[in-house]
Amino acid sequence: MAGPIFAAGATQDRVPPGLHGADDARLRRLLFEIGRGEAAALAELYDLTSPKLFGVILRIQRDRSLAEDVLQDAYLRIWQAAGSYDPEAGRPLAWLCTIARNRAIDGLRRKGAAEVQGPVRDDGEDWVARLMDPHDDAAAFLDRDALGACLGRLEPAHRDCVVLAYCEGRSRDELAERYDRPVNTIKTWLHRALASLKTCLEAVT
Amino acid sequence: MTGGPGDLTADPGSDPDLRAAEYVLGTLDREERAAMALALATDTAAVARVQAWERRFSPLLGAIPPVMPSPRVRAALLRALPVGPGGSTAPQGGNPLAGDPVTQDPRLRDPLAHLRRQVRRWRIATAGAGLLAAGLALFVAVGLRPEPEGGRYLAVVQGGGALPALIVRVDTRTGTAQVRPVGAEAPAGRSLELWYVGAEGPKPLGLVGGGATRVTLPQGAAPDGVLAVSVEPPGGSPSGQPTGPVVYTGKLIAE
Repeated sequence: MAGPIFAAGATQDRVPPGLHGADDARLRRLLFEIGRGEAAALAELYDLTSPKLFGVILRIQRDRSLAEDVLQDAYLRIWQAAGSYDPEAGRPLAWLCTIARNRAIDGLRRKGAAEVQGPVRDDGEDWVARLMDPHDDAAAFLDRDALGACLGRLEPAHRDCVVLAYCEGRSRDELAERYDRPVNTIKTWLHRALASLKTCLEAVT
Repeated sequence: MTGGPGDLTADPGSDPDLRAAEYVLGTLDREERAAMALALATDTAAVARVQAWERRFSPLLGAIPPVMPSPRVRAALLRALPVGPGGSTAPQGGNPLAGDPVTQDPRLRDPLAHLRRQVRRWRIATAGAGLLAAGLALFVAVGLRPEPEGGRYLAVVQGGGALPALIVRVDTRTGTAQVRPVGAEAPAGRSLELWYVGAEGPKPLGLVGGGATRVTLPQGAAPDGVLAVSVEPPGGSPSGQPTGPVVYTGKLIAE
């Protein structure tokens, strides 16, 4: 078995967080096999992608033990849904990460915002900086560049709300607390930012 | 704090595209998120909006550093897979973003055994992770209230939050079930078909229509069977067996 595409503790210099075309093909093949009920293919997919998915989940669900429950649940969902993966809909790793993110956010929202997660410490700007690191392959480069540029045009506080929500699963309530604003203001910020982002991305791409 | 269930009704004119964007961001509150998840099971336009936002944000995923999970997760995952000795365990179709009908290759699966496996897998998945969704897009919660006389049950098959999708009233003495859809919509050009899944496999009960309908349970239907709703071609499954993704299930529990 080949090593993980996303090794533990890998630096961005050594291991690209994106995937190259050949890796996409491999993941697509595994998803096809999983769709036919091949458990070995799921094990291989898990070995290749679980560090990435766990990274995504752990950013949202900070409790490591709960995050591991979410990870297991995400792969059970992948097991069920692999047959419906449509290569036209997007790259396989993004599809897998979307399942993981949704599972993690579902878990948080079910609990309610009050009892989970500490205060927001990270800065949205850090995420944008990480986004702009030259670490992805050419196919993803344009999309990444466009998203980075369009995020860069937003009001900094609005942009940070969007990025902290997406990357860390922060709720409107948590963002309201961080920015010391009413929740409705945060909602307005998010809506403005999302509308601008859409317009910008449509113009750029 | 605001952000409670009231927001859903307080903001009825909200742009559906912004709602899809907030669903992807994860900033909808519990009720709004559940309502969106329900919509995704049946509304292909909503699915398209959500997928477009997933694509727009996906480059940010590259910015998230990988972390190695504990090896016991892998072991537990593989243990949880319902791999039977009798052959393949073909997973279900079903778009995890939606409940979008999927082309399936009938050669690859026996729909009857397939639905049973699927239901079993869902039980494992939900048991393993609390109240996790049967479909990514759909929380299935079943509230069952036994009625005074034995043999009658009320199952509310929910799409998460406080939005019942189907209210199923079952009378095992007369073998009838009354189905009242509440906000359950079939995707354009498709029908929702109700099934009773007992020991002998899925039996069609009829199409889920716009109003209440009365259906007859198959002979020998036991109260521990499972009710399921699948997405089918217009008019229902041509084969008498489920062919499309199952979007709801609800269990009837004996008193």
